Amino acid sequence: MAIKIQVPRPTKMELSRLKKRHKLATRIQKIVKDRLSLLIMEFLQTVKECAAVRERLIADFSEAYRAYSVAFGYHGKTPLEKEMALSEMPFTVSSGTRNVAGVKLPIFEIEKGEVATAQLRNRIDGSSVLDQSIEQSRKCLETIIQLTELQNSLDLLGTEINKVKRVNNALEFIVIPALDVTIRYLNMKFEERDREETARLKYVKQLLERKEAHAY
Amino acid sequence: MLTDTTKKGDTPAEVYLYNEFRAINAHVPRRRKSIEELLGESAPQIDCSDGSTHFFRKKELSLLADMLDEEEKKDFMLPMLIEVSSRDNSYAVPSPGGTEAKVLSKICGTTLSPVMNRVPLFKPHLSVIRSVLKTCTQYIFVA
Repeated sequence: MAIKIQVPRPTKMELSRLKKRHKLATRIQKIVKDRLSLLIMEFLQTVKECAAVRERLIADFSEAYRAYSVAFGYHGKTPLEKEMALSEMPFTVSSGTRNVAGVKLPIFEIEKGEVATAQLRNRIDGSSVLDQSIEQSRKCLETIIQLTELQNSLDLLGTEINKVKRVNNALEFIVIPALDVTIRYLNMKFEERDREETARLKYVKQLLERKEAHAY
Repeated sequence: MLTDTTKKGDTPAEVYLYNEFRAINAHVPRRRKSIEELLGESAPQIDCSDGSTHFFRKKELSLLADMLDEEEKKDFMLPMLIEVSSRDNSYAVPSPGGTEAKVLSKICGTTLSPVMNRVPLFKPHLSVIRSVLKTCTQYIFVA
């Protein structure tokens, strides 16, 4: 049950102020509800994407391991390690934020270097098998970065949804009902005052009539 | 836009409600940039009114650039603002030149025509647009 707000004096001014606050709270609640539905939509979309990227990551990793084991069998341990050490990719990850209905979400973008994979290594020791395993590893890295972004976004969106839900519930179940109850209480108080006033006036009128009757 | 501000005699509850109102649209960009301007930047971004920065994905920018001709690129401002109206629960994108309508139609795969310089959208459209243009669109709440 909603609790009545403590009003210092039950006056008409106080009533108009409460009505104004009620109107404002209702407007905000509508907007907060819209924001909540949009955030939930974004959250669900991110969940779907996250699941797809996770599946892709697993597939990429299994491909990479397969390619790596073929390269391991073809070259042997030491030459493979040597080649792998030389195959560092020149790339940068730029990060920033994007805003979704007031929530700052991370954004990562990979900028690849201009040097091709094959150019980095010794052509005599290398092979297409090795190229493939390196390419697969690069793919894995890209997917990991994408998944990081999505997982982080999911986390932030979840936290924000909880916050907005709390604000929405507070407005819907506490603030607006309390204002409703207080406005109703004040209205009843004024109606009662009006009734008392009418009764008092009737009584005074009766008294005056009686006085006039005695005077004659 | 919401323009409510606090007044001197307001109670703390009213001040809180007004602040809540203001915080909802704090992420709106201070100044929008044309797609041509953004394509020329090494890290395309804009400043938001709350002091934060909003980055654009280059992939999305190039996707949009492919849909537009040279003249349209100069006038097409980003991010596209999706107006969320709480009064009638509707969504719309302002489209003064009609370029936005053209782009959104291509993305949604349906014909979306502007009504009084606004492209009305439905929720299924929203999810499609947001999945393709994550950084090139932003929500704005209208009372």
